[in-house]
Amino acid sequence: MNGGFGILSLTIAVPAVGALLLALVPDAYTKAIKGLAIFLAAATFVVSLTVLSVFKGQSYHLQLVEQMNWLPQLGVSYKVGIDGISVWLFLLTTLLTLLSAIFSVYIEKRVKTYFVLMLLLEAAMLGVFVSLDLVLFYTFFEFTLIPMAMLVWIWGGAQRNYAAAKFFLYTFLASIFMLLGIIALANRYADVMPGHEFTFDLVKIQNAVASGVLWKGAGVLQPVLFWAFSLAFLVKCPMFPFHTWLPDAHTEAPTAGSMILAGVLLKMGTYGFLRIVMPLFPEATQQNMWIMLTLAVVGIIYGAIVAAVQPDVKKLVAYSSVAHMGFVMYGIFSLTHTGMVGGAYQQLNHGISTGALFLLIGLLYERIHTREFKAMGGLKAQMPVYAALFLIVMLSSVGLPGLNGFIGEFMAMAGGFQAAYQAGWAGLYLFAGLGVVLAAVYLLWMFQKVFYGKITNESLKGLKDLKPWEVGLVGVFVLFIFWGGIMPNTFLKPTEAAINATRQMVRNRPGARPVWGDLTYEVNEKGDLIRVDQRSDVGSYSGERIVLTNDYYLMEQPKAPMVAMGGGR
Amino acid sequence: MDTSAFNSVWWIFALPVFGFLWQCLAGKIVIDNLGDKLGKRIMGASAVLPIAAAFFIAVDLTGKLHSMPAESRSVVLTLFDWINIQSLHVPFEFRVDALSMMMVLIITGIGSLIHLYATGYMAEEKDYPRFFTYLNLFVAAMLVLVLGNNLVLTFIGWEGVGLCSYLLIGFWYKDVANSKAANKAFIVNRIGDFGFTIGMFLLIAQVTLDRNIIGITDPRWLSFDVLLPHADVLFKINPEITTMAALALFVGAMGKSAQFPLYLWLPDAMAGPTPVSALIHAATMVTSGVFLLNRMSPVFAAAPQAGAVIAIIGAATSLLGALIAFGQTDIKKVLAFSTVSQLGYMFIGCGVGAYWAGMFHVTTHAFFKALLFLGAGAVIHAMAHDQDMRNYGGLWKFLKITGATMLVGWAAIAGFPYLSGFFSKEEILGAAVNSDTVLHLGGYMWSTGQVAGWIGFVVAFLTAAYMTRMTLLTFFSGEGRWKTIAAGHGHDHDHEHGHHDAHAHAHHHEDPHGFFYSDAEMHARAVAEPHEHHHALDSHHVPKEVPPSMWMPLAVLAVLSLVGGAWLKYGVNLEHWLYPGAEAAEHAERVSHPMLLGISFTVFLAGVGFGFWKYAKGLPADEGWDLSLWKRWRTSAGRQFGIDAALTDGSLKGGAMLGAFLAGIDKWLIDGVVNASGRVAELAGGLLSRTQRGYVRGYALLMQAGVVALIFYVIYQLSHLGAGN
Repeated sequence: MNGGFGILSLTIAVPAVGALLLALVPDAYTKAIKGLAIFLAAATFVVSLTVLSVFKGQSYHLQLVEQMNWLPQLGVSYKVGIDGISVWLFLLTTLLTLLSAIFSVYIEKRVKTYFVLMLLLEAAMLGVFVSLDLVLFYTFFEFTLIPMAMLVWIWGGAQRNYAAAKFFLYTFLASIFMLLGIIALANRYADVMPGHEFTFDLVKIQNAVASGVLWKGAGVLQPVLFWAFSLAFLVKCPMFPFHTWLPDAHTEAPTAGSMILAGVLLKMGTYGFLRIVMPLFPEATQQNMWIMLTLAVVGIIYGAIVAAVQPDVKKLVAYSSVAHMGFVMYGIFSLTHTGMVGGAYQQLNHGISTGALFLLIGLLYERIHTREFKAMGGLKAQMPVYAALFLIVMLSSVGLPGLNGFIGEFMAMAGGFQAAYQAGWAGLYLFAGLGVVLAAVYLLWMFQKVFYGKITNESLKGLKDLKPWEVGLVGVFVLFIFWGGIMPNTFLKPTEAAINATRQMVRNRPGARPVWGDLTYEVNEKGDLIRVDQRSDVGSYSGERIVLTNDYYLMEQPKAPMVAMGGGR
Repeated sequence: MDTSAFNSVWWIFALPVFGFLWQCLAGKIVIDNLGDKLGKRIMGASAVLPIAAAFFIAVDLTGKLHSMPAESRSVVLTLFDWINIQSLHVPFEFRVDALSMMMVLIITGIGSLIHLYATGYMAEEKDYPRFFTYLNLFVAAMLVLVLGNNLVLTFIGWEGVGLCSYLLIGFWYKDVANSKAANKAFIVNRIGDFGFTIGMFLLIAQVTLDRNIIGITDPRWLSFDVLLPHADVLFKINPEITTMAALALFVGAMGKSAQFPLYLWLPDAMAGPTPVSALIHAATMVTSGVFLLNRMSPVFAAAPQAGAVIAIIGAATSLLGALIAFGQTDIKKVLAFSTVSQLGYMFIGCGVGAYWAGMFHVTTHAFFKALLFLGAGAVIHAMAHDQDMRNYGGLWKFLKITGATMLVGWAAIAGFPYLSGFFSKEEILGAAVNSDTVLHLGGYMWSTGQVAGWIGFVVAFLTAAYMTRMTLLTFFSGEGRWKTIAAGHGHDHDHEHGHHDAHAHAHHHEDPHGFFYSDAEMHARAVAEPHEHHHALDSHHVPKEVPPSMWMPLAVLAVLSLVGGAWLKYGVNLEHWLYPGAEAAEHAERVSHPMLLGISFTVFLAGVGFGFWKYAKGLPADEGWDLSLWKRWRTSAGRQFGIDAALTDGSLKGGAMLGAFLAGIDKWLIDGVVNASGRVAELAGGLLSRTQRGYVRGYALLMQAGVVALIFYVIYQLSHLGAGN
């Protein structure tokens, strides 16, 4: 497994080692610390970009895989790799961290600690998106909590103790179930597989699932483990009714913390479903998809309605995140091609548009030190450029066609509707679609409160418009908002093969499922698994564009892939 | 087929986009550097020119289309792949055919006239380039709507025009009432768009499920040229779903085209500058619903039940709008409800299957309603931005050109024989009263088509009457009533002329980042701020005729209103041009053509006669300032019969209550459970550790102990569970 060895580890290492370097700089040199931190974040971003140059979007297989033993006696290894599902999240992480680090020049308090934590957080998040070993995944997943909670705790607002503790404990407790699930899964694997190997290797376990060996006669174990993992991810997303930590954490977190929390951390939940839950628990996923879809729809409506009555800008955006992440879940649990690609894409769009909203709110907060609507109003006349940028970002969040938010929502809803229609539940869509109407209600209301009318607050009258570098910072988001809306293929194409394979891992019967571990297979134009004879490297697939013509052909799969391991005991 | 001859269609779209970018990026710089007068002249000209150029390209393309054989007059051009995944292929593609080019000609033709008018109307506006930024963007979005060759692309334009409408209604944003009207417009439209998406998704779901039966092989199955030829097959496979899809798309059309009950936003939209009302809320955007029905006509034709519903909703809307217009005193509101009413006509036409007649009325309505709105704008301009007709009267003496052109508009909309409105209205109502459109409901057959047609004649009477009312009260009926103006009358102002408060600013805190202006800069800003002189309407006011940039568009539109109908009917043969395949199927006419003419004449004369009888002498006392003298029905019409209050306030209050309720649930129930369990853990942790040093420590201890025990227990259990089989 050669081909760009080390890029993923290097990308994780730059912020991790960089954080240690940063810790060596004396506290007093705040300017140097800020400069170095931004440089490190930029370096990480640049290194992560090199992934794109070697990444092969046509293949569903995991690429740039690196593996070495970590705790061999326990079957734990350091194994990382990337595919179409994780590649954009990986890049989103480095980009958002860079942008929030640049914003963080406004930080005055305990500067060094702040940036050290931020870089550690980045390393952990990157680790989550590339881990191919369940223990490694869990380690990174949990490690993101510490720096994030510290960021809330030290640099947060008035309620920061409560918010930090709640964030930490809530998500940590939920993850405990995942840890139990991981251990049980490894046990099961050792029990049923010939050789009784004890492993946490995601690829190996998935292979056993795809062939049907792992879950044969497992009874309730599969649904139990499905819910153990799902609980951790549902809390992380967060899905209704596990969302209440989010508004508190967002309100109290410093701006950069909110940007990363909304932009990246929440995606770890939905990513977990795509990477772990769906491939490993296919039958349980199909059985429970309607529960998930219903939760998603309830979340979409509920989040939107509660957002509409919030007195605080950040709380409003936090609840809107509940609604928007509902669209992601709605798409990916539709288990249709359109829906899943749309849901996966919506993850990026939410990262961009909500990250940008928090950045904009932060820029204003630095100036007027309040986030209450009643202290604002009439800012359009005072800060026209700020208002224009805010408008674009808000419209992206509203899901205006032509901007990025629309594509993901549209595809997620189209897919969700296909699934619901086919199952005779088409009414479910009606409610999900209402979320789009409600998004307009609360976001336009927010815009009106902040920007329209006369200036009522005297202290706002002296405000200057944004500084050029601030405009540039928001401009990066605006660039992606237009890019993602006008040329979505840039982002959709590399994702497709991986999503298609993930969907087939769920939809197909055992034995006909794609296998990560078997590199001789790819998904062809009709969505069938085919054997690829000429394969020069991992992921380089010399066939034509992989085109699927009809979503519903795939449920009955004519050909079975070669499965590396045999049947049950 | 070689489509390169039609490549210039991209310029039609690109020119307004360039105009938009130029206005938004360079507008302020140009005006700041070249001075107010020259800068505005340059920006104004560069706003009009792209639209006018696009119009001439459209004329050229229409000519090319005309020279082609009728059956191949449809060209699809692809610019790039917009969404292209395995299960969904949506290119960015335009469709040049008779229908789209007709809309393009209206949009760019009338659009450039209104842009020209706006250069004069907005001349004193500080945010001049911002206005044209929005206006050019609107034209671009509207062009995508009509030219797009698939439903998703149409939807981009659909929401794009909604956005521009939102931005322009709230153009004078310092008045919160305007931004509330803008929000209302956007949100009500979004409800309609929700319907649009349901319709779209129903079609998507049907096609993806039954593609083999339907026989679609092209991956671009959302494109009109692929989907629409199969509409009748779709209907055969699943008639209920196709009817539902058609009705859902109609809900979208209801939102954009202000049909009952989604008409609520249109009257409030009059808060925007008058050129906006003319372009967006009369001539183009509000007719996009009719365009959609024409574009998707194979689907609607396959679902006749949907048509029956559309016809009756159209009739109800047109009746309601006409009745409400009698209760309005604001000249723009009269025209707004008149627009609602006329849009109802168009839907009657589409509902009974006379799609081309709907489009015919779209076109003639664009002529005369744009004319009337621009004329009203000229009157408002001349009357110091007072919009209340009760203050007008006798303006003919002062505003000869405006008055003459508006008289043409009045004649055209009222149904003066052989003017444009007369023809299109007659086509619609004739088709309706002769139609066989029936609705099967509750075991009965309801001839909604015929009923709609007869309601239409009643509305024609009402239209002639309220338009006569408006025209007489404004231009004739005695001396100018503003001369007797008394203090204390409420005036609606088109402009926000609020005083600039003294720029006292209270920041005395430190400002290390330079976020605030210094005191010297604040002073400079206060000086640079133009202090607009607000001249309110008073008894000494002398109305002045508007400048040529404003009356020239009026004159052109007046000519079109005079002859446009006859030209389209006899010169162009519009029915054949739009729907060449569907030659008029001659069926037994219930109401013969001469009889229709007779009814139309009678209705026109009766309506105008009624208007003269009531308003020729001046403002009747029972419609004056003293609202207590008003008749009950008129007061109630003025309040839109309470529909607006019931729906808007109801949903606002209900929404706020629901929001507060759910927020309470969130805080006390959902989060309450979380906090309560946290507190229990805290207590337990406190007992176990016997320390009270911080919450986190307590939690952590408990968790460590508990978790370790739990892990071991569960592993033990699960390993046996799995091994059991």
